[in-house]
Amino acid sequence: MKKTFTINISGTIFHIEEDAYEVLQKYLVKLKNHFGSEEEGKEILADIEARIAEIFMDKSSDEKNVITLERVEEVISTMGTPEDFVEEEGGEEEVYTSSTKRKRRLYRDPEHRVVGGVCGGLGAYFNMDPVILRIIFVVLLIVTSIVPALLAYLVLWIAVPKAVTTAQRLEMRGQEATVKNIEKSIREEVKEVKESYKKFKESETYAKGKKKVEGAGEVTFSVFKLLLKVFVVIVGVVLIISGFFGLLGLISSLAIGHSLVQGWPMIWSPEINLPDFLNYLVEPGAVKLGIISIGFLAGIPLLAMLYVGSKLVFRYKSNNTAIGLSLVGVWLIALITLVTVSGSQVGNFKNQASVVESTTIDCDSCQTLYLKLAEDRYKGYAAHGWDLNKLKVVEVENGRVILGNPRLDVEKASGNSFLVTVKKFSRGRTRETARDHAEDLIYRFQQQDSVLFFEPYFYLEEGDKWRDQEVQITVKAPEGGILFFGEDMLDIIYDIENVTNTWDGDMVGKYWEMKPEGLTLKGAEALPETMQDSIPAKIE
Amino acid sequence: MKLENTKAQMRKGVLEYCILLVLDGEPLYASNIIQALKEAKMIVVEGTLYPLLTRLKNAGLLAYRWEESTQGPPRKYYELTDKGRKFLTELEGSWAELVDAVGKIRKSRA
Repeated sequence: MKKTFTINISGTIFHIEEDAYEVLQKYLVKLKNHFGSEEEGKEILADIEARIAEIFMDKSSDEKNVITLERVEEVISTMGTPEDFVEEEGGEEEVYTSSTKRKRRLYRDPEHRVVGGVCGGLGAYFNMDPVILRIIFVVLLIVTSIVPALLAYLVLWIAVPKAVTTAQRLEMRGQEATVKNIEKSIREEVKEVKESYKKFKESETYAKGKKKVEGAGEVTFSVFKLLLKVFVVIVGVVLIISGFFGLLGLISSLAIGHSLVQGWPMIWSPEINLPDFLNYLVEPGAVKLGIISIGFLAGIPLLAMLYVGSKLVFRYKSNNTAIGLSLVGVWLIALITLVTVSGSQVGNFKNQASVVESTTIDCDSCQTLYLKLAEDRYKGYAAHGWDLNKLKVVEVENGRVILGNPRLDVEKASGNSFLVTVKKFSRGRTRETARDHAEDLIYRFQQQDSVLFFEPYFYLEEGDKWRDQEVQITVKAPEGGILFFGEDMLDIIYDIENVTNTWDGDMVGKYWEMKPEGLTLKGAEALPETMQDSIPAKIE
Repeated sequence: MKLENTKAQMRKGVLEYCILLVLDGEPLYASNIIQALKEAKMIVVEGTLYPLLTRLKNAGLLAYRWEESTQGPPRKYYELTDKGRKFLTELEGSWAELVDAVGKIRKSRA
């Protein structure tokens, strides 16, 4: 017992056995590949199908009307395979094709290959010696520190189909895609537009109504088609360029630690270097995992840009659903990993704790306390380009430190002497780790007689992670105590309460007295001359 | 160099000429042309003919019209165009010259 199908060849219905159907199907697909899918190829194929139908019909009158495998094989040997045609035609096929030359498509050239045939195919496409392209590729490899150029090659290797059939080999070397030809094809388009416009005008003169609308539609359609073609090529080129340099930037930023293309103008690249940045935020193990996920997360869309861009420009056919889907899968996994990693890192910020250190300012003649800023010891060092919630990273001789701005407030003291409290805050997974982090914070100030010098920054030692650390300085003044804020203190004072509700900016450079009702402006006298240049050296 | 290849090359050169010759009377449809060429052993597989017909048609040497058939689907009847006739006349001349040239060489060898 054999299964039979009903098929329609060239308008005639036939019954065909399953195995015969498969062979016939394969044969027709082979012919289709050979003749190509252009207008001419379709016509040839239609003629051949009509002939096959005729042969089947001739013989199905005397048999039981079912086509068997033997008959399909008989037909195939009568009609011949593509190899037979090439042989009978003497292998030289491009006699009459010059007028209806195929459009050139990008294929990989298996006959001129070194690795994947990509350069060979590109060479055929651009009508260049592939050796030149190979040299360019090697130079690109070196310039881009190998990976981005290699990835671009792999994308083309996977995406661009190999020229297997005769038709594909012809397409590979089809009508040139030189500037001249692009111009020609655009000119043809323009001609088409003009013609359809002419048709439209004629139809306007001769027939009215419906035809007019159709004509107008045709004109708009051809104009639209032309614009679309130009637009598609431009978009493709932009996609290729940005995909390539995006990859270049991403990879150098991930791997080398600083972006290679940073110095080049006009080229987009990520400004920050991820490993560096992440090191201050998360635990070492998580940094690696995070970077790998970010690499996939950003890299896969960039690869997709390269693929789509090259496809738009070179118009090659490809069918790589499996690869596409698995890349989407990898992308999703990377996304999940990154979310999980950051989720686990968020735990590091769960608890807040603080450590307080109080210092009594003890000096006999201190009725007035002068508050000034100590010298900025990191002034001369290069700061990194990024700013993390008011923290900044500075390069020093033996590594890096993270600096943060403390905040200074003034309160009334309960006792009779001045008091300075430094409260250090940090977050951590538990209260204990939060407190440990807080204790690791370094903040210093120094007393010289009646002058207090505050460092402009608190800092974290190299290796400490950012855990939303803060430093709150409170100067407690006894009743009757007088404070003078140096101009430079504006950097660290923060919303000091006073009876006149004076803004911080207007509080500096003046004397303030602690009265029962609060801090009161005492006068705008200038700083005594002896105090003017009493800035100490760095606090050690 | 393969004998088959050389033979195929020789045949190819005159195949187009032969198609035009076959069509130089009445319009014919593909099966008639195939029959004529097969009888003369000009082609082995039928598939060779179709690309040639299409190309000759695209080159403006042939034209076709559809004709209803008593059995099965309508058929494509091919005929020579004016351009095709001129082309054929020139080919006739070249063919005569070629036969003449080959004949002379063969004679001089003998």
